[in-house]
Amino acid sequence: MSKITILFYHPRIIMTGKHLSGVTAVALAGTLMVVLMAAGCLGSQPPGSPASPPQQITATGSTTVLPIAEKAREAFEDLYPSTSVLVSGGGSSVGVRAVGEGTADIGMSSRDLKPEETGMYPGLVTHHIADDAVILIVHPENSIESLTLDQVRGIYNGTYTNWNQVGGPDLDIVVVGRDSASGTREFFAEYVMNKEDFTKNQEEFNSNGGVQQKVSQTPGAIGYVGLGYTDGVKSLKIEVNGAPIEPTLENITSKRYPITRPLYMLTNGEPGGAVKEFLDFIMSEEGQQIVASADYIPVQG
Amino acid sequence: MKREEATAVQSGYPGWPGHSWRGPEAPFARRNRHLTDLIAGKLLFIVAVLAILVVFFIIGFLLRDGYQIVLETGIWNFLGGVDWNPAGSPPSFGILPLIVGTILVTALAMAIAVPLSMATAIYIAEIAGPGTKAVVKPAVELLAGIPSVVYGFFGLILLTDWIRILFDRPSGSSWLAGSILLAIMAIPTITSVAEDALSSVPREFREGSLALGATRWQTIRSVIVPGAVSGISAAVILGMGRAIGETMAVLMVTGNAAVIPDPITNVFSPVRTLTGTLGIEMGEVAFGSLHYHALFGVAVVLLAITLAVNGLSRLIIRRMQRTPARSRAPGPLMQAVHGLIPLSLPHRARRRIIHPKTTQKFAFLLISMGVVIVLAALGVILLEIIVKGAGAISLEFLTAPPSDLGRAGGIFPAIVGTLYLVAGALAVALPLGIATAIYLIEYTADTWLTRGIRAAVDLLNGTPSIVFGLFGFAFLVLFLNFGVSLIAGQITLGLMVLPTIIRTTEESLRAIPKSLREGSYALGASKWQTVWRVVLPPALPGIITGAILSIGRAAGETAPIMFTAAVFSSRYLPSSLFEPVMSLPYHLFILTTSVAGADDQKFGTALVLLMMVLSIYLIAILVRHRYNRATVV
Amino acid sequence: MDDSTILETRDLNLWYGPKQALLDISIRIPKNTVTALIGPSGCGKSTLLRCFNRMNDLIDSARITGRILFEGDDIYADHTDVYTIREKIGMVFQKPNPFPKSIYENVAYGPRIHGVRRKEVLDDVVETSLKRAALWEEVEDRLHEPALALSGGQQQRLCIARSLAVEPRVILMDEPCSALDPIATAKIEDLIIRLARDYTVVIVTHNMQQAARVSEYTGFMYMGRLVEFDRTQRIFEDPTEELTENYITGRFG
Repeated sequence: MSKITILFYHPRIIMTGKHLSGVTAVALAGTLMVVLMAAGCLGSQPPGSPASPPQQITATGSTTVLPIAEKAREAFEDLYPSTSVLVSGGGSSVGVRAVGEGTADIGMSSRDLKPEETGMYPGLVTHHIADDAVILIVHPENSIESLTLDQVRGIYNGTYTNWNQVGGPDLDIVVVGRDSASGTREFFAEYVMNKEDFTKNQEEFNSNGGVQQKVSQTPGAIGYVGLGYTDGVKSLKIEVNGAPIEPTLENITSKRYPITRPLYMLTNGEPGGAVKEFLDFIMSEEGQQIVASADYIPVQG
Repeated sequence: MKREEATAVQSGYPGWPGHSWRGPEAPFARRNRHLTDLIAGKLLFIVAVLAILVVFFIIGFLLRDGYQIVLETGIWNFLGGVDWNPAGSPPSFGILPLIVGTILVTALAMAIAVPLSMATAIYIAEIAGPGTKAVVKPAVELLAGIPSVVYGFFGLILLTDWIRILFDRPSGSSWLAGSILLAIMAIPTITSVAEDALSSVPREFREGSLALGATRWQTIRSVIVPGAVSGISAAVILGMGRAIGETMAVLMVTGNAAVIPDPITNVFSPVRTLTGTLGIEMGEVAFGSLHYHALFGVAVVLLAITLAVNGLSRLIIRRMQRTPARSRAPGPLMQAVHGLIPLSLPHRARRRIIHPKTTQKFAFLLISMGVVIVLAALGVILLEIIVKGAGAISLEFLTAPPSDLGRAGGIFPAIVGTLYLVAGALAVALPLGIATAIYLIEYTADTWLTRGIRAAVDLLNGTPSIVFGLFGFAFLVLFLNFGVSLIAGQITLGLMVLPTIIRTTEESLRAIPKSLREGSYALGASKWQTVWRVVLPPALPGIITGAILSIGRAAGETAPIMFTAAVFSSRYLPSSLFEPVMSLPYHLFILTTSVAGADDQKFGTALVLLMMVLSIYLIAILVRHRYNRATVV
Repeated sequence: MDDSTILETRDLNLWYGPKQALLDISIRIPKNTVTALIGPSGCGKSTLLRCFNRMNDLIDSARITGRILFEGDDIYADHTDVYTIREKIGMVFQKPNPFPKSIYENVAYGPRIHGVRRKEVLDDVVETSLKRAALWEEVEDRLHEPALALSGGQQQRLCIARSLAVEPRVILMDEPCSALDPIATAKIEDLIIRLARDYTVVIVTHNMQQAARVSEYTGFMYMGRLVEFDRTQRIFEDPTEELTENYITGRFG
């Protein structure tokens, strides 16, 4: 039936007896399908799929921490088949709220807790599981190699609009950033922007991956991402006191690279049971190797 | 008449083996019938009122969580403020750029979509032969079946790049990209409603014009299109509603910068819509914060706009239905026909500069070009996804869970998750929807209550899917404490498709002629028996078609499940209704917007989702086609 | 009320909303006969017919005063079950309206909804009803085929069989042949005459010749009133009222 008949009252079809058997067939088939699917919902798994194990923990929040949680999950579930870990993103604010409200076991955050948050959820315990740096990325064909922090700020607050104003080619700057609930953006706003407003023309994406994707496709773009998101783009060096510092593992660990930050997994109260096992796993040597393999900085000690 | 024959009547048939079929069973059945009728009527009434309740609930919940922002900033600052900067210090919550963004994106989309849709509708209704029609019409309807996240995916990966390269702009994420996508998404709606309206213009008008010597194009332009103008306006308004409510596609391609383009005609400027704001920020906002309340305020504004657009279309449709085409002022139409006559009078030399047949050729050429553009859009999208996605499809892809953030492994839990969500949505919507429709058609006359129920269903029908998502989140996930769960997603999706089920069931029931019901009553059947045994069975094909269309829509939706049911990755299938679940559209969304280096998987997921939804729509089209051939009234 | 009247109205008035359709109708339908109601279009004969089995209940705006009696009982009395009334007083409509089911299921519908489940009983009822409706021989080997595949005349006889299956005492027929060709019409007229042996038939017709052929009693209605009611022979050969005579001789209507 056309849209008009769906939306407005317009007689179209009369059934004749001959097609009754066809109707019954379709109806039967449909009912069967729905019943089968509903039956699947209520616990019995379709053949060939793994049954859900009895224990389940959820981790929600920062998309910066997410790759670590994902990789750790895979290894963890292999070691502990009786536990499954459900990971989802949403941003650091979501992670804090989820673990505070109890809708997730672990909240992932790439920034410190805000005073309102410690006020609302006083029981939150912070576990420092890795370190990260915020990398400025540009399109691989952009000739620019390094910027000072002031120049970065100038680009993001709209002062500079063309790459040739900061030593690059004659190309309009496309400013790319994160959405307003992102922990990475919070961190960037505090430590790089000094709390200045971002230019209104900034294109916003809701994940590190989105920023990375955009920059990799757009010759004039600049973006900021966490460590694990540098495929397909060029990482810029940051000039400190005239010397361009590359965001290498060494420079970040030694804090010579200026934009570094801790990554956290939060729990409500001290963790127990499967949650503790998961966190212990991440803090273990194997877990920290996973952190490194995700291109993040393992926590020392 | 003899005495013996008189007794024969009272004691049964002569020739009958001495007794009639009235045994002890019969009186029992009779007593029960009144009771059944009573219970059935009451139950159906309760269910039907539920539709109104749902609407009030949604509005109520949105207001409950949204009014705080107006208290804080004042209504004019909220609606008219030009600064949307919730994370700034101090934060500001002016939504004017968002409203402007919505208006601009919709307006340009309509400017693109309406001519193309009209061309296609005219082509299908008036120009195409039956063979071509049988191909073009389903093709356009298939366009309607493509999920919005697939459009967004196509837009983000391909369209924005094309715009960037073609127009030599720094970035392709723009107002233009959003409008192009919205136009493609609105075209099927506008086309099918307009085509319906054009086909309903009585043959006599067409024949009358042709008999005067007018060309087909002159007939179309001066007689048929004016005759269908109410239906066409309704079509355009419906398309507009579709565009206003669209979330996923716009948020993926407009750049999401909350600015008013400067100058206002700069189509390459990034913009942000009301729906895009909800989509991009809702999942991440801190619960109970001012930002949270501001977002609910945005949802209320969106709902208000939807209400207005909806109300307008209903007004026009009611006017159109009240004046059946035959009695519609023959004045303007006849005047139009008379207007054709001077064209052929020789002394009007000016008008003969271009021969009407040439005009027709030109017009038909333009129309054909329009149709080709529409079909080309479909073709390009399908081709890109099929060609690039086919490489990713393997047995592992279809049967294994994802790993490495979705860059490897498969999408099996997402496929099954989608099926679970759809099954649950149907389980919610089918009983409620069919019962409501039965109540509206069979059990009541046209009272204020039924009009209220239909208005509520109308409103639900036009509500953007993201608003359902917000409601599901605020009510099911948080208030009822279901958490992000399969059941929250199922209920939210069920509410979203409920209006479609109600409408299609109502229409199928209406199509059953009154004479069948009368025949049943005349045999002593109760109302419920009549409904159950005589009215419902022949209405089944229509009901099934509606159910199938709902399946297709529910399978492809992202916005309602983003905050209510979906989890990014899970090795296992949910073992209870209260666990979250993976789903194909959400998986595609996350892969596209958050995960780099998963190109194969993206196209593969898009292909699987596309195939699933398109085959469902194809089945619906086939079912409808089969039963349309029965008898058409 | 004497023994031979099965249906009676006393001072029956009916309004559809503000418009009065029946005025002070008092009529007595004799048992086991065919009674015809004739009159020009819009005179109220179908309306009167629909009063007998309370089909006018289905119209919201309908309102009546006066009494309607079936076998001496007021059909609108509190203790009366409308479904039972409709079992005992069946109706056949102008346009045949078989259900979109098989022939068998159409006839079995009535007994089914009144509680009969056993197959042997249903088979018997179907066969007997179809025989009494003079349709059995034409359909006996295709009982489970769709009813809508039958011709118009066959469909109407099927509708008659359907009504017979619930064992009515009275069969109301509202212009049953007006949608049929002459041959089908003739078959049904024969059927009506034979049915009168066991049932009472009240037939509304705008075809005077048909009324003259099949009925023993005739009522002539005009503009909502019952102008004259008498034996058919008397009405057609020597009517009392001038209005009747004008109608019979074709001066109007």
